[in-house]
Amino acid sequence: MSADTDPFALFDLPRRHAASRDAIEQRYLELSRAAHPDNVVGDGTAARRAAVERASAVNAAYRVLRDPVLRAEALVKLGGIDLDSTDPERGAPHPTQAFLLEMIDLRERLEDGGPDGVAALRDDVEARCDAALDAAVEALDAGEVRRAAEHLVARRYFQRFLDETDSSAP
Amino acid sequence: MTSVSIHDTGALFQIAEPTDQRRAQRRPGRGIGIDLGTTNSLVALAPHGAAPRVLRDSSGSGLVPSVVAYTTDPPLVGRAAQALQAEHPSQVLSSVKRLMGRGLADIDFAHPYHLSEETPGLLRIDVGAPVGSQADSASRRVTPTEVSAAILRELKLRAEAELGEPCDGAVITVPAYFDDAQRQATRDAGRIAGLQVYRLLAEPTAAALAYGLDRGGEGLFAVYDLGGGTFDISLLRLHKGVFQVLATGGDSALGGDDFDRALAARLLQRSGVGEPTRNQLDAARLAARAAKERLTEATATRVALPGLPELEVTRAEFEALIEPLAQRTLRACRQALKDAGLRAPELDGVVLVGGSTRVPKIRELVAETFKRPPLADIDPDEVVAWGAAIQADILSGSAREGVTLLDVVPLSLGLETMGGIVEKIIPRNATIPIAARQVFTNYAEHQTGMVIHVVQGERELARDCRSLARFDLKGIPRLPPSMARVEVTFQLDADALLTVSARELMTGVRQSVEVKPTYGLSEEEVDRLVMESLDHAGDDYARRNAAEARVELGRVVLALRTAVAEVGHLRELLPDDERAGLEAALAAADAAMADPDAAADPLNRARTALEKVSEPFARRRMERALNAGMAGKSLHDIERALADEDALQEKRAGHTPELLEPEEP
Repeated sequence: MSADTDPFALFDLPRRHAASRDAIEQRYLELSRAAHPDNVVGDGTAARRAAVERASAVNAAYRVLRDPVLRAEALVKLGGIDLDSTDPERGAPHPTQAFLLEMIDLRERLEDGGPDGVAALRDDVEARCDAALDAAVEALDAGEVRRAAEHLVARRYFQRFLDETDSSAP
Repeated sequence: MTSVSIHDTGALFQIAEPTDQRRAQRRPGRGIGIDLGTTNSLVALAPHGAAPRVLRDSSGSGLVPSVVAYTTDPPLVGRAAQALQAEHPSQVLSSVKRLMGRGLADIDFAHPYHLSEETPGLLRIDVGAPVGSQADSASRRVTPTEVSAAILRELKLRAEAELGEPCDGAVITVPAYFDDAQRQATRDAGRIAGLQVYRLLAEPTAAALAYGLDRGGEGLFAVYDLGGGTFDISLLRLHKGVFQVLATGGDSALGGDDFDRALAARLLQRSGVGEPTRNQLDAARLAARAAKERLTEATATRVALPGLPELEVTRAEFEALIEPLAQRTLRACRQALKDAGLRAPELDGVVLVGGSTRVPKIRELVAETFKRPPLADIDPDEVVAWGAAIQADILSGSAREGVTLLDVVPLSLGLETMGGIVEKIIPRNATIPIAARQVFTNYAEHQTGMVIHVVQGERELARDCRSLARFDLKGIPRLPPSMARVEVTFQLDADALLTVSARELMTGVRQSVEVKPTYGLSEEEVDRLVMESLDHAGDDYARRNAAEARVELGRVVLALRTAVAEVGHLRELLPDDERAGLEAALAAADAAMADPDAAADPLNRARTALEKVSEPFARRRMERALNAGMAGKSLHDIERALADEDALQEKRAGHTPELLEPEEP
């Protein structure tokens, strides 16, 4: 991610996870007013295209900054690890054997449990999902990008589990 | 392996800053707002910061029925077209908005039209030959886009008659739930109608704009928009001059027309009509609509279908019929609240839009769902056009305190992957404009191209989503498998319209992307239709010229006849031979005007001839007037005065008006 696409830089915010919601909203409104393509209706193609691209970047950065998970993932990416890549050096860290066993166990409990069991299981996984994010944020605050990335990978597994049980729910 | 990264928008900031003269080409105050509705359309103006007003016809109606009659060429639009509907059901088109951006497979509702789809994704309606044309005349096939363009052209002419000059551009509203194909079709219709489309504005956003600015309000609003054929729900926040759509949802094939259909079916069933004829169905639907409207005030009403015994319909019966339809809208409301992360009590107001929100049951259910009485103090039929006019005024460059409108994409954008599974690249309700970038790689060294299929919708499988376009990505360099990396950018602009570009990452070279929209008119076809519309604009111009020439000739004829009647008997003014020439020219002018389709040229020629022949007569009248000491007044006034004086003289002395004449020649 280059400096141009650093959402924190775009919004003049310090590069850390803790962020003021008000500051983000305030800055978003300012940037949006300035960047909106409606400002250049009737101008040449190049100017209109530039405005569309600027506004797109503002909207994309806003989407990342207001979401605690995407914000954490962006910080990890700025720290040199891209969770969307499989590159062994700069890509997402592989989950540990123990973690994969934990996931298999969760899947088995999902298949065995009745409706009540599924609800309880979902609560359990939601808690683990939140805890993984908290742990990632703590690691980021301590400057440990790799450890933060590991927690965020785990969180993605929990999230997918929740998404899948959500879509199969009656 | 592909990587999704919506937030990675690349090196986009160096390109250009908006220039200071950014509004130089625009003409402030000449933007028009158009609500292009399923049943009715409206055009409104709000020039230079003025309050919006809907343009009305001579009978005071602002609603132009969205009906186009192809019984003539060029077609008729509006009320005149509607009057021909019963007689020519397949040539008079209504509710074409439901066909915009659609294919034959999408049309799951009854209609009287002859539809075809030779080009996949492009519907054509066979409207036959104009009435009264020769039997072997070719039948015409029009696309829904062209039909909409005819409506837009009518609205544009109405606005230009009001402005007294060409309009600069237009904001056209679309249901928030319109997908890319439907929006593109609407934008194309605007271009074909000869309009610069500043913006497509979501109807609920337009309504909120009308209310929000009206009240100078800040806060969270829900807009519940139930029109003739579409339903939208939008949640918006107005804060510090920015109108932000938080979530939107709806159903682009659900509206008040469905209420009519449901009631019509019940009426026919209760009358024991098992298999109604086309005429019976039409009559039942008209009766149902009228009954629905009466039931807004009354709790029961009587309905008479032609040739059948009268029936009584209670409001309760009607409400039971529409309850399942109403529940569908409420489900969409709850989903939108969920998408926005809001609960109903957090809202500051609920705005009602669309004629169908007059149904009391709808108001009741909306109040229940949002836990507050809804706002409806701006006419729900006009509020969308108001908002469009305000935004059009802002975008025309007027110095009006504007708001920035941040809209969202209503449906997720995705790519078809292996096995027909959709991979989402832009989630629904993402604020637009927004871009997604996706990196594609080659799987074999000889592979130099690939096909990318873009779809829109929320379903898992590509075949259940709307196919938007297929892109041929060409010119991938010959590299070992997985080494070539092509980054494709999917850009949604402020109208939620998609453009695609690509570059090869190793070289940074832009790749050619061949766009094949799955739906709608190709760029070339739109261009052709724009050219044709310019020809039609020529027709409009010719008609206007002819009308002006007719008025001018009529004025000259009338003035001459008046003069001849008043002073024509004075031979000093009008010698006999000259009089004969004048009478002949007047007769020729009458003959020219007798042809109702006369073009401007013959009318103008008749006028020129008349003016030439009458010139000496006019000169002598002028001299006479000057002699009478009445310089500085118009010839007509002078003659009036002289005639009055003559009459007075006549009365007074029994004299003929010869009194004033010098001497006989």
